[in-house]
Amino acid sequence: MNFSIDWLTFEWRLIARSRLSVVALLLLLVLSTLSVWSGVQEVARQRDTIAQLAALQAQDAAVATTRNATGGNAGSAAYYTFHHTWDAPADAAFLALGLRDVAPYALRIRALGLQAQLYEGETFNPEVALPGRFDFAFVLIYLAPLFVIALLHDLVSSERQSGRLRMLAAMPDGGRLWRRRVALRFALLLACLVLPVLAGAGWAGLDMGASVIVLAVAASYLAFWIGVSLLVGAHGRRSVTNATALMGVWAVLTLVLPTLANVALTRAIPVHQGVDLMLAQRQVVHGAWEVPRDETMRKFYLGHPQWQHSAPLPEGFHWKWYFAFHQLGDESVAGQVQQYRAGLLARQAWTDRLGWVLPGVGVQAVLHRLAATDLPAQLAYQQRISSFHEALRNFYYGYLFTDLPFGPAQAAHQPVFAPAPGAAPAPWRAAAAVCLLAWLVFAAGAWRLVRIKGGGER
Amino acid sequence: MIKRIALEEWRALARDRAAVVGLLLLTVLMLVAALTAYEQQRGANAERARYQAQSNHEFQAQPDRHPHRMVHYGHFLFRPVNPLAAFDPGIDGYTGSTLFVEGHQQNSANFGDVRQTSLLLRFGQLTPAFVLQVLAPLLLVFFGHAAVARERESGTLRVLLAQGVASRQLVLGKLLALCGFTALMLLPALAGLAWMAASGHAPWLPVLLLAAGYTGWLLLWSLGVVLVSTLFARGRDALLVLLAVWTVAVILLPRWIPDLASSAVALPTRYENVINVQRDYLALGDSHNPQDPKFAAFRDGLLKQYNVTRVEDLPVNLKGLVSMEGERRSTELFNRYAAAGMDRQQAQSRLIDHAGWLSPALALRRLSMTASGTDLASFRSFLEQGEAYRYALIQGLNKLHAEEVHYADEGQAGKENRISNSHWQGFPPFHYRQAQVDEILLRAAPAGAALILWILALTGLTWWLGGRLGRAVR
Repeated sequence: MNFSIDWLTFEWRLIARSRLSVVALLLLLVLSTLSVWSGVQEVARQRDTIAQLAALQAQDAAVATTRNATGGNAGSAAYYTFHHTWDAPADAAFLALGLRDVAPYALRIRALGLQAQLYEGETFNPEVALPGRFDFAFVLIYLAPLFVIALLHDLVSSERQSGRLRMLAAMPDGGRLWRRRVALRFALLLACLVLPVLAGAGWAGLDMGASVIVLAVAASYLAFWIGVSLLVGAHGRRSVTNATALMGVWAVLTLVLPTLANVALTRAIPVHQGVDLMLAQRQVVHGAWEVPRDETMRKFYLGHPQWQHSAPLPEGFHWKWYFAFHQLGDESVAGQVQQYRAGLLARQAWTDRLGWVLPGVGVQAVLHRLAATDLPAQLAYQQRISSFHEALRNFYYGYLFTDLPFGPAQAAHQPVFAPAPGAAPAPWRAAAAVCLLAWLVFAAGAWRLVRIKGGGER
Repeated sequence: MIKRIALEEWRALARDRAAVVGLLLLTVLMLVAALTAYEQQRGANAERARYQAQSNHEFQAQPDRHPHRMVHYGHFLFRPVNPLAAFDPGIDGYTGSTLFVEGHQQNSANFGDVRQTSLLLRFGQLTPAFVLQVLAPLLLVFFGHAAVARERESGTLRVLLAQGVASRQLVLGKLLALCGFTALMLLPALAGLAWMAASGHAPWLPVLLLAAGYTGWLLLWSLGVVLVSTLFARGRDALLVLLAVWTVAVILLPRWIPDLASSAVALPTRYENVINVQRDYLALGDSHNPQDPKFAAFRDGLLKQYNVTRVEDLPVNLKGLVSMEGERRSTELFNRYAAAGMDRQQAQSRLIDHAGWLSPALALRRLSMTASGTDLASFRSFLEQGEAYRYALIQGLNKLHAEEVHYADEGQAGKENRISNSHWQGFPPFHYRQAQVDEILLRAAPAGAALILWILALTGLTWWLGGRLGRAVR
């Protein structure tokens, strides 16, 4: 025991004596802390915004209800009343802010055609969004490997260049020394990286499973880069050559290949249907004014037989006709909506697959899935809006198609949006895939390291 | 002497297999990036032009109907891509490309790529701009960091100085060699840009601005690399320092500073904006209802103007005129909110620009996006042109309503209150006007000045330290 403490203090002293290493470790700690802190701030801000919007919307809905109080008509109530929907940030959202800066996380919806409302953009400055957020995912995926490289690229070569390598290799159980050195650096890097995350997780009330995944993924990603550093560094080359080669590997794995993959993906799976379905839906909705009203109703009753015994349309305007053709507009593009979603999900699926071979992409996918800030999370929010919209329509139809009066008393029973049920299922499989690859590379690096011979001094 | 030193350094670089391979890889990457970005830009433009034509056709092919139905039918506008987006797509993937224009409302541009792709887009886009902004400096760092330090480390510096080579000559020679290396990296991009201008795809001035900007950017890095190389006795230290500088300037600050700017100037969500706009809009009165008391003064003014006592006696349709007046009032309101929102975004961007004096990477990005017409100001210009088109279209339809539909017939069953669809064909299609050259120059000027200042500062510093190098060795 005493012995092991001795080597620990000895090795630590070695690291501490190199000012550069200490500065690097401190810098990593600071960056990681800043990223977690800014993520936590951002999540708090989003929660506040959602609460404020809810209050604002409640006021607006109250105004609509009072305005409708004298008329007592479900149609005009449905037309003028908007409803609050929101997508609260998950507990893990502070780790990876993802698409939440470019997609709305709160949307007001009314019972009219959904497809004209669902794709509303959020106000954001594209120049701010373009480089991406400064969050923990960024620090882990882009910056942490650079620190690994800085601390490990000359692990072997510095000993060789100073002429100690032959002696170290000649020591009994020489592998132990390398194991200790690597383990200590690994532990220090990991600590600097994840201590702020643990603090953030405690603050956000992150559940155990999610915390374990974050730790496992962060440790594995570090292990991957340590493995790569060892594989490159164990060859008998100079420190500078190692650093150059490692930075090259980093640039290719985190900058070049993912962007190449993105080009390939957008090309292989084109998604134009978003615009198409919007144009198509408009044609149907606006064309309806020229279609004989009875024909519209006949078509509508075909798909919704529960209302077919509604009274015939009166001479003038009737809201049920208006809502019927809006719904027919949505239904006419239902197939395109399916295709659009399928196209987007296919892009996501291929990205996930890419994550099995590119650890940076894999970690990105796992963290964003965990944080529920990725494309599937956005689609899930749209899906929840759709279900709510369905409930809203049915609620109003109950008054519209039976000509029941609708007043504030009835308005009090309007459906309320159901937010996401707690945490999303943890991405265990994707995380396992990332970890597996990472530790294989680590094992290869470690194996290469212990086989180092003292020769090849330059 | 300088030339000989440069040639020597060149020979060393050419012998270094890694440097040659690195350069080749960068060139291949640049070609792939240029081709895919060009293809993508052309594809996007073709697609948007097709959609625009389809939309125009659908608008003109609408049947005979009441003009106010057309006000609600509206129109779709598609934002064309600037041809130079093939070089630097800037914010193009982040802004919507589809704008739905209709009466009584200003909509947002929807269907930006960023919401339609997995998070891969957030790793960056493979474009010539990305290669030159991010990867080329890294290559320069790898193969230039030891230029002077190596001579010092191996003791040849002392020998050279003893033989009467001035230390400044040596530094300039190394710089020249590195600039040659830089020129090789720039060559494919410059050739591509020249081709775009010569073939008439893009105007010359922005192309020259881009060429100058990226030449300046890589010159800056060449200077910086040689400078750091003279500062450190060991190549290893120079490399680590340069890598740290690269990481901070190219990777860290461009992410962090926008984040700071966005928390310094908060943007209201679209949601709350819509509620506020709607509240103010309802306070303006209902322009669908000519009896709305909010329009009483307007109505009385009309009666007086035409010298009649009853609205039925007006030679024009009161409903159409009230619609026009309502649209005028509401557009004023919308524009006020839209301008306020955009001003806040531009305030954020200005904050980022100020940081360009600290990190030239930000200055270069501004210059590049502005010259390529893919910056926020260009997008704002599209939105404003779209809004101007919307207003003209809606008021044109309202005017038809006022002049072609009789007030007495409105809402009367059996009365003809539709007008011929030939009227729809009278509206000119939307044409997006790209920014003028002088606007581009004006917007890019501060960023260009920041780059020039950086180059001057580093040149001065290199000159000064180059002179002191001899003393450091002795």
